[in-house]
Amino acid sequence: MHETAIAQSIVDTVLREAAHAGAVTVESVEIEIGELTFLGTDQIRFWIENQVDGTVAQKAEWVFHTVKGGIACAACGYQGEIQAAETEDHFRLPVFACPQCGASDVEIVRGRDAFIRAIHVETPED
Amino acid sequence: MKTIITGTGQTLTLKSQSGFFKQNADLAQANRARLDTHGVTAIDILGSVGAGKTTLTGELVAHLSPAQKVAAIAGDLTTEIDARRIRACGAEVLQINTDRGCHLDANMVKNALDLLELPALDTVLIENVGNLICPGGYLLGAHKRMVVIAVTEGPYQVVKHPYIFQDAAVVAINKIDLAGAMEVDPEALKADVHTVRPGIPVVFCNGRSGQGVPELAAALGLGG
Repeated sequence: MHETAIAQSIVDTVLREAAHAGAVTVESVEIEIGELTFLGTDQIRFWIENQVDGTVAQKAEWVFHTVKGGIACAACGYQGEIQAAETEDHFRLPVFACPQCGASDVEIVRGRDAFIRAIHVETPED
Repeated sequence: MKTIITGTGQTLTLKSQSGFFKQNADLAQANRARLDTHGVTAIDILGSVGAGKTTLTGELVAHLSPAQKVAAIAGDLTTEIDARRIRACGAEVLQINTDRGCHLDANMVKNALDLLELPALDTVLIENVGNLICPGGYLLGAHKRMVVIAVTEGPYQVVKHPYIFQDAAVVAINKIDLAGAMEVDPEALKADVHTVRPGIPVVFCNGRSGQGVPELAAALGLGG
């Protein structure tokens, strides 16, 4: 739902940092998207590419990494990835419970955020 | 944001440190701490448009009052209808109009908490905007999340929207009296909930008659 706003934040951040570094070109940008953020990467890419025409980021490669959801179990101390159930209807049906002891009292500790991991830029030769 | 590599003198790698959702997560944590200071328990109530969130919230208010002092925060795009309905059940109610916003966020709830007399309260029920998608991504600082689904939404709501259940502590399956007419099997919906969130309490409810409301309050740890 919020891809336009996130895309705008990404573009603003990239252009600000590129200007700050005196960059002539942004070569690539690596973005991490948490599995549990309700953000669609294809939509973010679409909105970004709509906003960078005529800027130093016009030809940048936008690289998305998905961060899998992670949970911590209050009962047995398990920390790790959210498991998935097998079903014929789903690409992946997440199971929000401890895969080790079965407890439902788990806290989501990973996958709820989105970050710019790195911005690769080229600066002018001296 | 800082520069971490200046390898050739021509190519820089700039690295971002803070996430786009961090501000909301921090505010949610501050809301929780503030509620805890005053011994107030908050419940975030999620569900689609028409699932019966307002009716169940009102029924919970009526069930818990007057033994407990309950306030409600009602999220809605443009009207005060929800606030009026819950107020009639005996709670102090604040209406948050999100305008075109499709979810509540921790800042909206912070602003609402500013207006409530927290030391005088036991429980705050927060009715989120009707939506089974993005409210799941925004923590508010509530102690528990309850998801309301209704049999009138058909048999596939749980399997189609598994991520709304990611933090659910309790699920209410509402309008249970209409299950026969809808040809929806409530036990199958319950089984779907337990595939995504094994072991959590699932309560069959009828918001109109109050059926299941005491069980719901107990499952949420609200007593009464």
